[in-house]
Amino acid sequence: MTDKYDDRSHDSTSPTDADGHEVKHEGRTLPTLPGGLHDTTTSRTLWGDAWRRLRKNKLAVAGLIWICLIVVMTLSADLWVPPNFGDPLAIDTTPGANLQPPSLEHPFGTDKLGRDVFSRVVYGARVSLTVGLLAVSISLVIGLLLGALSGYYSGFVDGLVMRAADVFFAFPYILFAIALIAVLGPSYRNVFIAIGILGWPSIARVFRSSIFSVKENEYVDAARAMGASDLRIMFRHIMPNAIAPIIVYGTMSIGGAIITEAALSFLGMGVQPPTPSWGLMLSDAKSLMFAAPWLTIWPGFAILTTVLAFVLMGDGMRDALDVKMKD
Amino acid sequence: MSALLEVKDLATHFMTRDGVVKAVDGVSFVLEPGKTLAVVGESGSGKSVTALSIMRLIQEPQGRIVSGEILFKGDDIRKMSDSQVRSVRGDRIAMIFQDPMTSLNPVFRVGRQIGESLILHKGMTRKQAFERAVELLEMVGIPHPRDRAKDYPHQFSGGMRQRAMIAMALACDPDILIADEPTTALDVTIQAQILELMMEMQERTGAAIIMITHDLGVVADMADDVMVMYAGKQVEYGTSDRVFYEPRHPYTWGLLASLPRHDVDEKGTLLPITGQPPSLINVPPGCAFHPRCPHARGLCREEVPGLHDVGGGHLTTCPLAPDERPSEAPAQREGA
Repeated sequence: MTDKYDDRSHDSTSPTDADGHEVKHEGRTLPTLPGGLHDTTTSRTLWGDAWRRLRKNKLAVAGLIWICLIVVMTLSADLWVPPNFGDPLAIDTTPGANLQPPSLEHPFGTDKLGRDVFSRVVYGARVSLTVGLLAVSISLVIGLLLGALSGYYSGFVDGLVMRAADVFFAFPYILFAIALIAVLGPSYRNVFIAIGILGWPSIARVFRSSIFSVKENEYVDAARAMGASDLRIMFRHIMPNAIAPIIVYGTMSIGGAIITEAALSFLGMGVQPPTPSWGLMLSDAKSLMFAAPWLTIWPGFAILTTVLAFVLMGDGMRDALDVKMKD
Repeated sequence: MSALLEVKDLATHFMTRDGVVKAVDGVSFVLEPGKTLAVVGESGSGKSVTALSIMRLIQEPQGRIVSGEILFKGDDIRKMSDSQVRSVRGDRIAMIFQDPMTSLNPVFRVGRQIGESLILHKGMTRKQAFERAVELLEMVGIPHPRDRAKDYPHQFSGGMRQRAMIAMALACDPDILIADEPTTALDVTIQAQILELMMEMQERTGAAIIMITHDLGVVADMADDVMVMYAGKQVEYGTSDRVFYEPRHPYTWGLLASLPRHDVDEKGTLLPITGQPPSLINVPPGCAFHPRCPHARGLCREEVPGLHDVGGGHLTTCPLAPDERPSEAPAQREGA
């Protein structure tokens, strides 16, 4: 009985062979192939596999590198930016120090108060990334909890949560954010709180539908038939299969939150001056767009590339996390 | 009390928007230790719902076991608490599902999944469970079991996955193994191997098997008893010999006649059972099979026939006397 199968090798370089084809020769049995053909050296894990697939996606890798670069630059900024380019908050009132075009001394130029734009862009990344991460974390905590409740206990709970989400969706997003901040008061902290609160309905919806589709799988019935409890089924069998879209959506949401922060700051409802924020810089420069284009180009470029990097990486992760996808 | 499992007058209904679906309506049977019972019928005849009811896996509140007793070693599963039922599921009564492609969780390694019930029911550590999983994989004929246990399900072929499912079901050495069409999703050569494996495993572990299938050919070798279901009702029940050689219900004749056979006639065409199975919301009055039955008479259309013993514990609902049965054996009724 044991030797009826021809077990094809499946090493990590050609995993398309991995589904061990069965071969039977008119009643004769094939000898089991020597163990050497079965690659035992590469240990394969879910995350290891996903990482290998992600590495093959050039755009996702580019996004990842860009994000890493920005993170490293902004975290180490205290060490090298102020001595070389000037403090982002240092106002220089010397005549001629303001509105300088890019030069060696000020690679991105200076703004109307004589502050170094490069320095402000680098420090602005702190605001953007912090707001992005904290806002999405808040959305995730609320969204995952409510989405899980909604997806697992359908019926009344589901109706309640989803109607609440519909109420959030019924308002224009940016207006709702402005209204929230008008109530809370414009500040750094309130910006990410507002964005975080507004983000939960989408997360909850994505997670709920993901749980719904996972719940229909026979392996969930199989787990129940095995005697697993509700909690165990939820956390061990459904969650790990339902979380991939959330990782993807969450990554992309960071980009969205960064844009929202910029928009709110641009409108004066976000981070308050003099804190360097990309949106605030754009807002300050809008009247000088033609006189001093470097004031708008650099923060704009920073917003564009950072958001794009998060979206590309999210997109790459969607493919990488699909277990059934063969490389 | 020698019976391992005794089901008495089980009825499971589903409440839908269109009405009550009587998926299982008055089914009774007895399963002795180490024996195999085959439950046969078309899609929608209530076979799977019967199996799920035994495990109490019917999705509430839409579905509900409305009456009957399910006595497992004398204890009524219907009356057990949730935690008692969980301790029976997977440990004493295990189930193999139809589609091996979807019944393994894609994010867990195969060995880990097989070991899960051991961790749940036998209090094993992960390491012990893994070792046992390797032994089980070897037992069901997976080559290189130690390496294969570290693979993910998508790295297994369909036949291997079904073997893994069998290993998983056998992990806790259950008293009853319920197999819900275990071979339907597999191709014919693999089907034969899986059935052979199940028989071998039964010999080794002494588990009783409830085999659910729509294919009488599949069960001919395996089953000790056969229960034929139609529209949620039991229409014939008896030992495999009696049901195969002296079938008493026209539906059973139809099932037998629609089987491809290699021993009877080369030119004969297969005889389908004409018509459609009835909707379970509007079951025809009288015998549910009468619209499709070539022998239906007046009373069949009015009165629901009860099960009666036609000798040796062979039960049927059909009132046709043996001499009223068409003289030709069903399989030779070409052109009828």
